[in-house]
Amino acid sequence: MSSAIAFENVVKHYRGAGARSLRDELAGVVRRDRPKRVVRALDGISFDIPEGEACALLGANGAGKTTALKLATRIAYPTSGTVRVRGRVGALIEVGSGMHPELTGRENVLLYGRILGLSRADVARRFDEIVEFAEVGPAIDQPVKQYSSGMQLRLGFAVAAHLEPDVLIVDEAIAVGDAGFQLRCVERMSKLVREGRTLVFVSHNTNAVETLCSRAVMLRQGEVVLDGPAPEVVAAYLDSFAQARLERQADHAALGSPLEILRTSLHDASGREVDEIASGEPLTVRLHYRAARPLERPIVNVGLADPRIGCFTTASMARDGGSPELLVGEGSIDVTFAELPLLPRVYEVWAGGRSGVGVGAILDWQRLRLFRVVDERERQGKTAVTATQNSGPVLIPYAWSFGGRDEG
Amino acid sequence: MASMPHTGADPVASALAAPPLEATRLPELPEIVVEGGPGRVSRAGLRELWDFRELVTAFAARQVLVKYKQAFVGLGWSVVQPVASAIIFSIFLGRFAHLGGEGLPYVLFVLAGMTSWTFFSGALGNSMESCVRDAVLLRKVFFPREILPLAAVLASLVDFAPTLLTLVVVSAVKGIYPAWTLLAVPLPLVILVATALALGLAASALNVYYRDVRYVLPFLVQIGLFATPVVFSLSLVPPRWRLAYQTLNPVATAIDDMRRAVVHHTWPAPLPNALALVWVLVLLVLGYLLFKRLERGFADRV
Repeated sequence: MSSAIAFENVVKHYRGAGARSLRDELAGVVRRDRPKRVVRALDGISFDIPEGEACALLGANGAGKTTALKLATRIAYPTSGTVRVRGRVGALIEVGSGMHPELTGRENVLLYGRILGLSRADVARRFDEIVEFAEVGPAIDQPVKQYSSGMQLRLGFAVAAHLEPDVLIVDEAIAVGDAGFQLRCVERMSKLVREGRTLVFVSHNTNAVETLCSRAVMLRQGEVVLDGPAPEVVAAYLDSFAQARLERQADHAALGSPLEILRTSLHDASGREVDEIASGEPLTVRLHYRAARPLERPIVNVGLADPRIGCFTTASMARDGGSPELLVGEGSIDVTFAELPLLPRVYEVWAGGRSGVGVGAILDWQRLRLFRVVDERERQGKTAVTATQNSGPVLIPYAWSFGGRDEG
Repeated sequence: MASMPHTGADPVASALAAPPLEATRLPELPEIVVEGGPGRVSRAGLRELWDFRELVTAFAARQVLVKYKQAFVGLGWSVVQPVASAIIFSIFLGRFAHLGGEGLPYVLFVLAGMTSWTFFSGALGNSMESCVRDAVLLRKVFFPREILPLAAVLASLVDFAPTLLTLVVVSAVKGIYPAWTLLAVPLPLVILVATALALGLAASALNVYYRDVRYVLPFLVQIGLFATPVVFSLSLVPPRWRLAYQTLNPVATAIDDMRRAVVHHTWPAPLPNALALVWVLVLLVLGYLLFKRLERGFADRV
């Protein structure tokens, strides 16, 4: 299978930012010692996207995704290395890309068609379809500068996706659109993929990536760090953020409220303090508190959350009626979750509280710390979380059974 | 008609017309290689420019449209500048400095030169700004970059029509009626377009890297006005230097051609035109080489 896009040891350096003029240049000649600030946007990346494959590029901001796309679309050129692209490329790299603000939507569609190398007749044949998809209605004959950013985006995507590109390149721009439009974009892209077109998709919406793409390439600081099946790369991508958050989290204190949390520690079944816990094991969350004033019958809630979906379980003193009579000075509150039927991933501990007499918050509902759930079976191997993000966080014990056809 | 299969060998169109079977469609897809290093002039690049030719007119039309959409007098503005300059020069140089006009009323003489000069300087300035003006496009979408200065010169050409018409009308008012020699107008026009394009290609590319260009160029154009026989006659140049002068400054030849065609009713001089055309071709190649060399950094630097 021949490749639609091939990156061969591609390097892209940008010279340091700042306005350039002849004066700067002359100053650079006079002062030889001036260090040249070079931004390494891509540092020798190689990968290959075969015809008809849907591939995602993942990575944090500044990892080099957009730079890579700009090279593939010949907007910019590599410092060294080669990018090979086979076929016509339809690209939506930024909102309003390819749209000229002074021209009407209609003129822009024609212009973009010609940019894509299509004849006037080719564009005319698809014109109605484009307008319909973009939902711009009569505004098609108004200058694009009068469009909302959503309209510009819709028209831009409609044009790029309907003028039959061999390779469709879509950057995270579609995230600007509303939910309905994003859904239609994903549908349109999957239709193109089914037709055998090649798709390169950059998005932080990992669900869309997993839905559309069979493969993903993860970039970090201009290098390819992972290249493989989309679910695995997505999991590693999310995990890299979680890992960064784990490393960044400080002392998880909540100070300044009537009920202050000095520290939040986690303990396993034997009472040992831990940072990660095995799936299915009990977990004790210990809040080390200091009451700024005596607190009567405080109601404290502790929740566990998956970063994407909010708390999926909460331990509530209000529900249990288990409030202490009075909290004075410093001490600790323990809550033990009997078992954690959780998939290996990073989770959050949230807590908050209110006074049991009258109304009033004594501790605002907030995230106190992160912890990692690991799978015992995988502990020996990689630490990377391998559960796909499409499956929920909770693992309720289940069993399969298979019966014959009902003979009723 | 447009959807009928045609025999014209457009690889993209035929690839699209083919059934969407990957196995049959794939080998026809052209491969594009994006490499590092300075850009070069290539056969593929020139073919691509030809494929994108419609974009030149589209960009030019867009520019003309945008320029005059919100201007009440519209195209009339393009006439104001050469006419006003001609009047001012004829007052200061004709009345006070007693410059001669090859036997013509001096104001008509200057207008005949100013028509060409205004087009040339306008086209050059316009194409010099073209790449920076469309920075947004350069950063967001691919097309052969030289289309921008090309379209800018083409758009300026639209301004030329009413000024030429004005010159013909003013000549008629002064008793010089149009003659068959008007048929020679395309020749000086080709020289002017090619010179403006050659310098415009170089200036537009340099302007992306050094914005100093946009300050220096108008100044040079101002000097050029007095280094070119716009307000004085070509006969002021000593005969033994004249051919070299007309070659190295093709605009001088073009202006002389234009005066001959519209007001003197004589045909262009063959030798100076031939030499000027050769020199312009050299300039054009050099300008294009420089442009192609620099264009790969446009998106990063603009």
